Amino acid sequence: MGTGIAYAAALASMDALLYDVTAEALERGFGKLRADIRQSVEKGKLSPERSEEILSRIRTTGALADLAPCGAVIEAIVEDLAVKQELFRTLSGICASDAILATNTSSLSVTAIASGVSSPERVVGMHFFNPAHIMKLVEIVEGHQTSPDALAAARGLAEAMGKKPVMAKDTPGFIVNRVARPFYGEALRLLGEGVTTAEEIDRIARLEGNFKMGPFELMDLIGIDINFAVTKSMYEQTFGEPRYRPHIIQQQMVHAGLLGRKTKRGFYSYPP
Amino acid sequence: MAYEQSVYLTGDHELVEEFGLLCYQAGYRVTGTAHPGPVRRKLPVFFRKSTLVPRSATVAMELTNVRTDLKRKNLKFLDGALPKGALLLSSSVTVAAHEQASWIAHPERLIGIAALPTFGGRKLIEMAPAPQTGKDALARSQAFFTRLNKEVAVIQDRVGMVLPRMVCMVINEACFAAGENVATPADIDTAMKLGTNYPSGPIEWANAIGFHQVTAVLEALYRDLGEERYRIAPLLRHFAGGNRWWET
Repeated sequence: MGTGIAYAAALASMDALLYDVTAEALERGFGKLRADIRQSVEKGKLSPERSEEILSRIRTTGALADLAPCGAVIEAIVEDLAVKQELFRTLSGICASDAILATNTSSLSVTAIASGVSSPERVVGMHFFNPAHIMKLVEIVEGHQTSPDALAAARGLAEAMGKKPVMAKDTPGFIVNRVARPFYGEALRLLGEGVTTAEEIDRIARLEGNFKMGPFELMDLIGIDINFAVTKSMYEQTFGEPRYRPHIIQQQMVHAGLLGRKTKRGFYSYPP
Repeated sequence: MAYEQSVYLTGDHELVEEFGLLCYQAGYRVTGTAHPGPVRRKLPVFFRKSTLVPRSATVAMELTNVRTDLKRKNLKFLDGALPKGALLLSSSVTVAAHEQASWIAHPERLIGIAALPTFGGRKLIEMAPAPQTGKDALARSQAFFTRLNKEVAVIQDRVGMVLPRMVCMVINEACFAAGENVATPADIDTAMKLGTNYPSGPIEWANAIGFHQVTAVLEALYRDLGEERYRIAPLLRHFAGGNRWWET
């Protein structure tokens, strides 16, 4: 997702520096970005000149020390608390004292990520949505020690990137992942209780609810394993709040490897 | 427009108004009564307010969600007053259709429908026949909704049905989050529309549907399923009581 965020920054005429631990991962991400931009040019969505300008604004590096001059660092690495904590500890030693250190975490606590950082007041959540260069929303998450200045800077950065920031407290799921849980949870319960089929629930959501996609179509798109992991994480982080209790149907599908579109089978089948 | 048949409606004001308009637009004569809702307003001019069920009524709709005692009274009245063979379509989002059917003498003509304010104008309606419902009544109900330009989804008879249960739970979660100061109601609405492409923000939804209606659905789910997950957010109950945002 880091590449998508860099793309969003470049689209807003900002310079972005992409860092990854391995050169292969960096090249893979940047290569995909180049392919996406080329496709946009072919489709007439971007002019060749504009695409050149965007690509010229994104540089890559394999050395964390190169991030020292950046005014803001947005982390979008693996959702592993220990790995993130270690990275933020290192970043706080490298970056200028007035630089904001943002995490794109969707499921971990910003406060926990900031713990162990010498200046936790500049650690803030900036949760982008996929694809980051298209989706307008950014959740700006206030950790327990985040300073008002860091919060305002993160908000300003999101606005400068052409995004719509919303402010959220550091609680499990922040806003979107939390409020969306019942959409999936109740749909799974309705299916489990035999009220109707997944296809009918989706049809009802689209035609009666005006949703663009039904809950099962969405779970297939997101990945049933990802959706299950978020629900499980919410349930655990809230010490077993019944509203977030995961459903056995989802767990069984994960065990069976039926993860949705990415495995060609989920609640629906997707012929190759 | 030649009126051949009429529909008699009773229930919560906003639903009587909404479904009355749909029936009127489909060429039915519309008669009935309504319980006043939190916003008191007159029924539209095409609506003939009357406690007498016309002999031409082929369909009656009972659209009470909030007060079960009134719903029971209305159903008994309609069952006694309706011509033989007339359909009785009753909102079953807060009381299951089989329970409603047990209240009346002619249960074979009762079918549950998902009637929640703002859902009436949509392309699809959920229908839940009770075990007592006759096959003929189900087929005629489907034909009635086709005339109202709607697709039908026939589901099992459960309190909350499908979309009302999902949407009311999303609203409840949004109210828990707003009440816990996780974010402002405006930011919650923005986040859900931009982050997940929801057609409406949950707080906007609650305003449009009516907090008292949302509360009635959740209370029914809590009662019916006996699960803690359906408990109502304090902020939602606060709004349902007609209160405004807390002043600090």
